[in-house]
Amino acid sequence: MSDGITSASDESPSSDELRDRSRKALQSQRQPTVTVLSSLLAVQDDLHYIPDEAIEETATHVKSTINDVWSVASFYTNFRFTPPGDHTIDVCWGPSCHLNGAQDVMNRIHSELGITEEGETADGKLTLRYSTCLGACALAPVIAVDHHMKGRISPDSAAAVVGKLKDAQ
Amino acid sequence: MADDTIKLTVDGQEIEAKPGQTIIQAAQDADIYIPYLCYFPGMKPYGACRMCVVSTEAGGRKGVQASCTTPVMADMIVETSSEEVVELRRGITDLLMSEHPHGCLTCHRAELCGPQDICQRHVAVTDRCTICPKNERCELKDTVRFMKLDLTSSLDYHRRDLPIHTDDPFYDRDYNLCIVCVRCVRACDEVRGDSALSMVSRSGVALVGTSHGTSLLESGCEFCGACIDACPTGALVERDYKWEKASTKVKTVCTNCPVGCEFVMDINDINKVVRMTGDLSGEASHGQACFKGKFGYDYPNHVRRLKYPMVRVDGELQRTTWEVALEAASQGLLQHLPEERGVILSPRGTNEDHYVGQKFARTVLGTNNVDTGLNRSAELLAALAAAPGHGAATNPIWGIENSKCVLVVAGNPTEEQNVLAVPVKKAVRAGANLIVIDPRETELTRYATNWLRPRPGTEITLLGGLARVILDEALEDKDFVRDRLDGVDEFKKAIWSFDLMRVSQITGVSEDEIRSAARAYGNGSPASLLHGTDGIVAGDHADLLAAVMNLALMTGNIGCAGGGVYPLYSGANTQGGNDVGAAPNLLPGYRSVSSNSDRDVISSSVGGTYPQRPGKSVRDMVAGDGIKALIVLADGWNPDVAGMTTNGLVNPGFMVVSDAFMSDTASRADVVFPAATYAEVSGTITNLERRVQKVNPGLELRHEEREGWRTLADLANVMGGSGFGYETSSEVFEEIRKVVPDYAGLTHARIEGRGIQSPARDETSNGTGILFSSEERLSVVPMAIREPVSLPNREYPFTLGHGRVLLRPEEDVQVVRDERSMNYIERDTLIEIHPEDAADLDVSEGDRVAINAQQDSSASPLPDFGYVRLSSPHRGFVSVTTLFAEVVTGIQDSGDIDISPSVKGLPLRHVSLAKAPILREAGMAAD
Repeated sequence: MSDGITSASDESPSSDELRDRSRKALQSQRQPTVTVLSSLLAVQDDLHYIPDEAIEETATHVKSTINDVWSVASFYTNFRFTPPGDHTIDVCWGPSCHLNGAQDVMNRIHSELGITEEGETADGKLTLRYSTCLGACALAPVIAVDHHMKGRISPDSAAAVVGKLKDAQ
Repeated sequence: MADDTIKLTVDGQEIEAKPGQTIIQAAQDADIYIPYLCYFPGMKPYGACRMCVVSTEAGGRKGVQASCTTPVMADMIVETSSEEVVELRRGITDLLMSEHPHGCLTCHRAELCGPQDICQRHVAVTDRCTICPKNERCELKDTVRFMKLDLTSSLDYHRRDLPIHTDDPFYDRDYNLCIVCVRCVRACDEVRGDSALSMVSRSGVALVGTSHGTSLLESGCEFCGACIDACPTGALVERDYKWEKASTKVKTVCTNCPVGCEFVMDINDINKVVRMTGDLSGEASHGQACFKGKFGYDYPNHVRRLKYPMVRVDGELQRTTWEVALEAASQGLLQHLPEERGVILSPRGTNEDHYVGQKFARTVLGTNNVDTGLNRSAELLAALAAAPGHGAATNPIWGIENSKCVLVVAGNPTEEQNVLAVPVKKAVRAGANLIVIDPRETELTRYATNWLRPRPGTEITLLGGLARVILDEALEDKDFVRDRLDGVDEFKKAIWSFDLMRVSQITGVSEDEIRSAARAYGNGSPASLLHGTDGIVAGDHADLLAAVMNLALMTGNIGCAGGGVYPLYSGANTQGGNDVGAAPNLLPGYRSVSSNSDRDVISSSVGGTYPQRPGKSVRDMVAGDGIKALIVLADGWNPDVAGMTTNGLVNPGFMVVSDAFMSDTASRADVVFPAATYAEVSGTITNLERRVQKVNPGLELRHEEREGWRTLADLANVMGGSGFGYETSSEVFEEIRKVVPDYAGLTHARIEGRGIQSPARDETSNGTGILFSSEERLSVVPMAIREPVSLPNREYPFTLGHGRVLLRPEEDVQVVRDERSMNYIERDTLIEIHPEDAADLDVSEGDRVAINAQQDSSASPLPDFGYVRLSSPHRGFVSVTTLFAEVVTGIQDSGDIDISPSVKGLPLRHVSLAKAPILREAGMAAD
């Protein structure tokens, strides 16, 4: 990833760096109303996850407490608290995709990645996420690689996509 | 007025309610029970559990509503137990039971089995009713039993299988028993303003927790126990005496600080005090508490209590009888001249103790050397008695809630008078401005809209600067100044010398900050003002008080609701001691010892001869100033922590000590009397808002312990004193009424339960909430700008402000969890240093410096090292901020039996700094 900070293969950033990055992300918010939620989103946009340091910085930034910030952060499934892999694959399992074979796609991706659930591969480089709907039902089944949609996917084409990502490492 | 009530019908009964009440409140007022779990008095309606559903019909609309969130409406018809709502409640209860062990709730044998019986229904041992710490005192059980569930249901449920948190100080948290009523979170957030607990996650797995599930030590907990008191199940409980049941409950008052929080004391069947629960009906505390009162209560139970009198024989203290000990004390005291004798009374002592103490000192020992142990500043007392005419807070504690602005000077109420900070935080939440004048960072600075950090010792000049801005910008209360104040012209003339530029130079606070704070205070009427004496040298206390009073008077904040001045002093009953004359210069009722007519009033009323020469304060007596024989009532008094000695009280020649334990002071005495503690005495104490409250005995005296007043009266009788034939403390109080006009309308019976604020001059009076609310005239006094005095100290060139907060998110804190011990905190301390000082020390941002402090046994320990931050506002001033959690773990490690007198303060310190090598990578745990 271009910013290099979430790459597990690189030296992982120090606590001070994470704190600095979080603080900058928080200060970069331009909207008139800054909330806990907007602050967490700003951090996740930049760091792709919410480290402990960001919870603490957010609490200071919005004059709240770490517990109240955590309360919001833990409510939304979309926030993650560990660094993601270099690339993220979202697999849709909404009704349309499900009816059009998403389960087979999912099974294939699992076996290609060597995992059985959502999450990171053993080497931490690729992240798999289940999505309740990617909003492209006409193209079902759908997956997204780093937010780029790929429609009418089959188990084989999904395997090819995963293969490419692995080769690119 | 008829317009102020709303009539509605509940279960066919017509009841009256106040507008804005919810249905459940109106029903409770009319003694109609509606089952509930998440509703809690004093908290906002929440509607989490839906247990309180009722069917309603109003304005032609029918429905089922949660009665805790639905306001009453005129002509509403409410059914609390129609078939529909009962069915709904059963469904809700079933859902609750699906995640809560309920052998204790729904088993038909629950009332029949004893704790040792074999469970007839083979419930897993971890789920049994007797395992739950709230067994037999569980609110959930009462509610569920009301539902009349099928008591032969199977007892299975889904267990969350969460680990139990047992490694934080004082608390155990078992979220397997949590029913997610959110009372604890609301107590922490809404009531206390701390948010050390929050709701975590969502939907079916949502539970109470902390950020990342951390220990309470790093979540910002102040260990007040409000969450425990609110918890309806066994999820949150006090660890000590966890499974103990109360056989009697006694209403009493905490004697650890001058707030005087009302508590319900649980006594078990073997005469031990096992629990303290904040009394929701308490007028002084509104059911709130702090760690000292909530968890520091059990020293009366301790096996090391002194049981018998002792006298020193051949250098050793040996057990003896009261007769022998009293005789020995009498003989020893008589060997010294009257002016060489002194009496130091316990800060926890009752008004009765204090009154008998001063009477004994004056009429039997013939000296005015009598004082209460924590009356740290006789000058402050004298100034208080002279200037506002009364030495206490002018307004009630919870009046602060209605302030539009709160100014806190040189005090740290969150630690020293904890519950006083609760209404401050509430006012801030409601939109009030909070101005904190303190070089240290305290818990309140987190909430402050203006935090002014003057150079230590320049607070008075800064207050003068505020007054100057208020006059310059015409923010004073002109009507009040014209109608009520004297000395205004002289005051204005004097304040003219407070040139703002000069004030700013002296204090190190920018002109803009001074102006902004002055505007906040001047425009924020009504405004309350809390002033301590932390960091102010004793000689300046009177000037500080004058500055504070001037500010409050000029802005008309005296005599009005939500305004007022609150002196922050130490000692639970320092106020009562002053009221009843346990002070070296004051007779009962604030009469002067040097006035012949005042002395005559007292002696003609209660007999005895009263000496004329003013006595010595506790500080002087401790310093040994001409004193050769001392009587010390030492319960709850530690002269080291009070900053009066560094190595304990020296026996000046002959010393008699009454104490609950063989304390350092007692061990040096010639005669030791065993003292009764707060849990065993009957009497009154007076809190900082002048509320005279009843302390009630819950424990029976087990051995030969005696109350303070009885000990002194017995001694007086042996020494030939007259007028000491008291049988009970209420007899003593009857005598106090005669000589203290402010107490004339009070009796033990009248103040039982809720207390009455003095002055209450006759028996029809319900006390005086707000002083100076009538039209009496008051004066402002001229004040002068003061150039800062700096005393160069070669060895320790820096003044260090030691702050303390609940939470510092920007610092790395690590809680160390060790399976064998309790959680404790390790962290890097930041030390704020002025950039120029840092240059002199050859250190820069992030460097590590060694902190070497002058020895001070009254001060909280300082870290040995700190990491430099170049943010100190003043040259020569450095500051560190430690965490409240460190105090709490420190208490736990110290093993002190009686914790309150050993909690050390945060005085300014003199330190030297030296550059130190960084031993480890920054971010690692500190040294």
